[in-house]
Amino acid sequence: MDIILNLLPHLLNGLALGLLFALIALGFMLIVGVMELINLAHGSLFALGAYVAMTIIDPNLSGYGAFGEWYMGLSLTLRYIIALAFAPVIVAFVGMGLEICMRRTYGKKAEYGLLLTYGAALVLEETIRITWGSAEQVLQIPDAISGAFIAGGMIYSNYRFFAAGFGLVLILVVWLFLEKTPYGSIIKAGAHDSEMVRALGVNLTRLRLLVFGLGAGLSAIAGVVLTPIWGLRPHVGVDVVIPAFLIIVLGGIGSFWGAVIGGILVGLTVGIVGALAPEWSLMSMYILLIIVITFRTRGLLGKKSALEN
Amino acid sequence: MFSPKTKLSFSKITAGVALTAVCTVLSATAATAAGKPIVIGLTSDASGQYANSGASDRRGMKMAIAEYNAKGGVLGRQIKTVHIDTETTPATGSRVAERMISREKVGFMIGAVSSGVANAISQVAQKYGVVYLNTNSSSPTESGKNCHRVKFVWDGNGKNFALAAVKNAVTAYGKDWLLVTNDYVWGHNTSKATRGLAVANGAKIVDEIMVPQGTRDFSTVLLKVQQAKPSVVAAAVGGDDQKAMRTQIAQLGLGDKFAWINNQQDWPDVYGLPKKNLFGVFGTTWYYKLDLPGVKEFVAKYQAAYPDTKMKVPGNVFYNGYMATKSLLQAIEAAGTTNNHAVIKQLENLKVSAADRMQHHDAWMNPKTHQMQQTVYLATSNPADSAKDDMFKIMSQSAPSAVADMNAEATCKLEALADTPQRES
Amino acid sequence: MSTSFAKKTPFITRPMIVLFLALGTFPLWGTSVGLYDYLGVEIVIWIIYALGFNLLLGYTGLPSFGHGAFFGVGAYSYGLFQLNVFESVWLAVAAGVVGGAVVAGLVACFISHRRGIYYALMTIAFGQVCWFVSMKWHTVTGGEDGLLNVHRGTLNLLVTDASLKDNADLFYFAFAVLVAVVLILWRLVHSPYGKALQAIRMNQMRAGFVGYNVWLIKWSVFTLSGAIAGLAGGLFAIAQESAYPDVMSLHASGFVVMMTLIGGGFVSFWGPVIGAIVFFVARDFLGSITETWLLWYGLMFMGVIIFKPEGIAGAFQDFVAKRRARVEN
Repeated sequence: MDIILNLLPHLLNGLALGLLFALIALGFMLIVGVMELINLAHGSLFALGAYVAMTIIDPNLSGYGAFGEWYMGLSLTLRYIIALAFAPVIVAFVGMGLEICMRRTYGKKAEYGLLLTYGAALVLEETIRITWGSAEQVLQIPDAISGAFIAGGMIYSNYRFFAAGFGLVLILVVWLFLEKTPYGSIIKAGAHDSEMVRALGVNLTRLRLLVFGLGAGLSAIAGVVLTPIWGLRPHVGVDVVIPAFLIIVLGGIGSFWGAVIGGILVGLTVGIVGALAPEWSLMSMYILLIIVITFRTRGLLGKKSALEN
Repeated sequence: MFSPKTKLSFSKITAGVALTAVCTVLSATAATAAGKPIVIGLTSDASGQYANSGASDRRGMKMAIAEYNAKGGVLGRQIKTVHIDTETTPATGSRVAERMISREKVGFMIGAVSSGVANAISQVAQKYGVVYLNTNSSSPTESGKNCHRVKFVWDGNGKNFALAAVKNAVTAYGKDWLLVTNDYVWGHNTSKATRGLAVANGAKIVDEIMVPQGTRDFSTVLLKVQQAKPSVVAAAVGGDDQKAMRTQIAQLGLGDKFAWINNQQDWPDVYGLPKKNLFGVFGTTWYYKLDLPGVKEFVAKYQAAYPDTKMKVPGNVFYNGYMATKSLLQAIEAAGTTNNHAVIKQLENLKVSAADRMQHHDAWMNPKTHQMQQTVYLATSNPADSAKDDMFKIMSQSAPSAVADMNAEATCKLEALADTPQRES
Repeated sequence: MSTSFAKKTPFITRPMIVLFLALGTFPLWGTSVGLYDYLGVEIVIWIIYALGFNLLLGYTGLPSFGHGAFFGVGAYSYGLFQLNVFESVWLAVAAGVVGGAVVAGLVACFISHRRGIYYALMTIAFGQVCWFVSMKWHTVTGGEDGLLNVHRGTLNLLVTDASLKDNADLFYFAFAVLVAVVLILWRLVHSPYGKALQAIRMNQMRAGFVGYNVWLIKWSVFTLSGAIAGLAGGLFAIAQESAYPDVMSLHASGFVVMMTLIGGGFVSFWGPVIGAIVFFVARDFLGSITETWLLWYGLMFMGVIIFKPEGIAGAFQDFVAKRRARVEN
């Protein structure tokens, strides 16, 4: 009984962690699902989003006179909301630029796209280092969501639950977008049959641009939300790509709910293993993947994908 | 040394060791023209986990070298530097060291933050006999198991800091200790040192939580810490893991709930962060607000040399890089030659007065382990609302003899000087 | 990788002779163009590694993105054998080959019935597991510090012994191994087995219908590629006098993919060779002139993929074809 009681907070925590993992995987999922492209720049876009947000929240406006004073006079909450809204948009444009570079690789081997994004990841990371320096930085958060609360004799972080809740909401929004809007239908159709989409008169070039922008924007949102927990440094993206990758495969490529369930499953596994045998917590992700993939070829909910060829 | 060889020449090599040694001396001596600059290789990281500390380290070395060049160099020769990124990766460290020695013809190499990189470089350096200064890697193995005749270690190590902190902590905070340990060699060594000292002083270890390297989410660990309700938490968590943990502890406000004993906090890792991210007690070898003569001038010199740097005041990493380089140049001057054996002998007998080191006690090089024996400070977050940069409050200082890592002498087996190839540059 | 079925493939070809002559004399001319012997050693080792890797990626079309694991296992096997079993370069290198082959053979059991992205991801997962084990099992591997104090040793050549202490001598040894690997692989890819590999790349299902045992072929080529990676890893342990976990990281596994593709592994047997040379020379050169070498390196890399995804070998083939067309006109 004691053991179960002791495990309860870890279960809850694992669930929250799982939502965060799912949030990380969201942008990656969209691009891999629709474009059948493994976007290794995902982590760098994540980092870029966080850096841009940091700059929006606390810019150096000493040379801008009245505007600078006015802007810094806004409350932190307002500036945080501005950052949360605009950083992903800026990064989405960067993502679109990357998509334009990608175009010459379409119709060729999938490895080329993967490698191009790898090169982009190096370039983005170094650009971040040149622009913002390599030191650890802090992304400020409003007082309303910082601090801690006590439940059952344990202290929990407010921000963590805000982030998990935010993740949940964003997952639902993306789902609604994909299921209930005409854009979503086209994107989903593009995921399964690009010939058909073209035949229907949809501009495939624009569709890909849109999807890549959207995916990059989602990576950036994940960056803004997660870096207050994980910290912010130029190579923070490396910490993100692997879990995202793993979750997508676990859930099954091209499956929205697969990614969400995969994320939660990884969160729960890491949380519970962390409670019982912490030194194995990171390793448990990979073991989970190997077990699942050994028995279910296409992950939990995966469908057939062109990437299998 | 690089006499032309045919494709089959490797079959005819016999007493190669002796031959190589002789060739090295001959070619090196022939190449030493008076007035030719002395080349020093800077092997600090510019990318990867320790990029930021690496940059700070490098600034320290360059300031010391610039000072010498301004007054005419060493032995009448100017000092030239070469820097190549070691990428916080040991395999790259080896390649960089090989390149520096065989292509750039460096006479000396300086710089390291990661112990893995320091080891890789020092193995290559030992092979060629190039004197190498490990400026900032604080792993106890550096001056223990992995010591080398050509390598000199300038930072305090985990054992030194544990000695400075543990005894006081048991009496001040309580006897129930919990260890949070990064599950890799540095973490294990550091935690072992802490455990031994804590138990010897009457503490009880209630649990040890192993944290895999690469952990970014510490929520589970922090829940376990809360469940165990210890009086003291001793953390041996390093690198990016530590940065992530620090952020999460600050978010929960757990920094005040337990007495945290940390290892060293490198200045570049904490500079610019909110003060609440600094929690508990931690070690350092130097602080820019030490109330000692010369410190203010040193800070001013730093600010004049690096006006554009984001880091407005020098920290321990810069200090170590500067002091190590300065001592090396002094040793070359005292030896009157760049011959490596002569320089090694100088460094092994190195003594630096407290005034010159801007510390509270005289420092000296332990010839058996090649680790600098120096004052160790314990610090905590500065509660006063003073200047933004004044982040630390120095709590105490320990003389080198009080915190000496005795274990190192037992585990360090230096190569004989005679087995170290002679070299001049 | 153009294959002509009509002509019998010669043992030695002109590109081979050019490569052997140019690379084999590296210690004689390398320093005069600003390179150094140790760089030559690393290049030769990585060429071996990339050639073995291209058996999978280029010839069979199997994306293995965790290949560093076998390279690393080879390095540890070499070091552990030398330090704990017996002091012999040959036997320790053999241990590296066996180590790489055994681990790759085990991994191949789990993945040989897969294709495409799931194949890629499983290799990544196993690569991470190997990396993790090497970090965690520190009583054997030395953890993150690596397995240190491996020494270069003396090569027993029946009539005489040769010390590998000098980089030039080690270079000749590694080069001799490379020559053997090139000769063997060249024969292999032009044998019926090589045809089977290519059949699987073109269309795995059809290859199965024609009567190839696809699983077994995929298993064996992965194991063979792992053995060659182990061989390269063993040589790397000699060169570095240590074995480090970093070579098993995803980052380092990515390097071999990059080299193979930049060089043009998809279109030529020689792609990995060109790729490894360009990769190391460019990295060494950029790393010594700028601290922001990653930026330029990444841009260079993106440029190759955008403008000439078939890599340098592809560009060369285009050039030759164009010139031939001009001559014929």
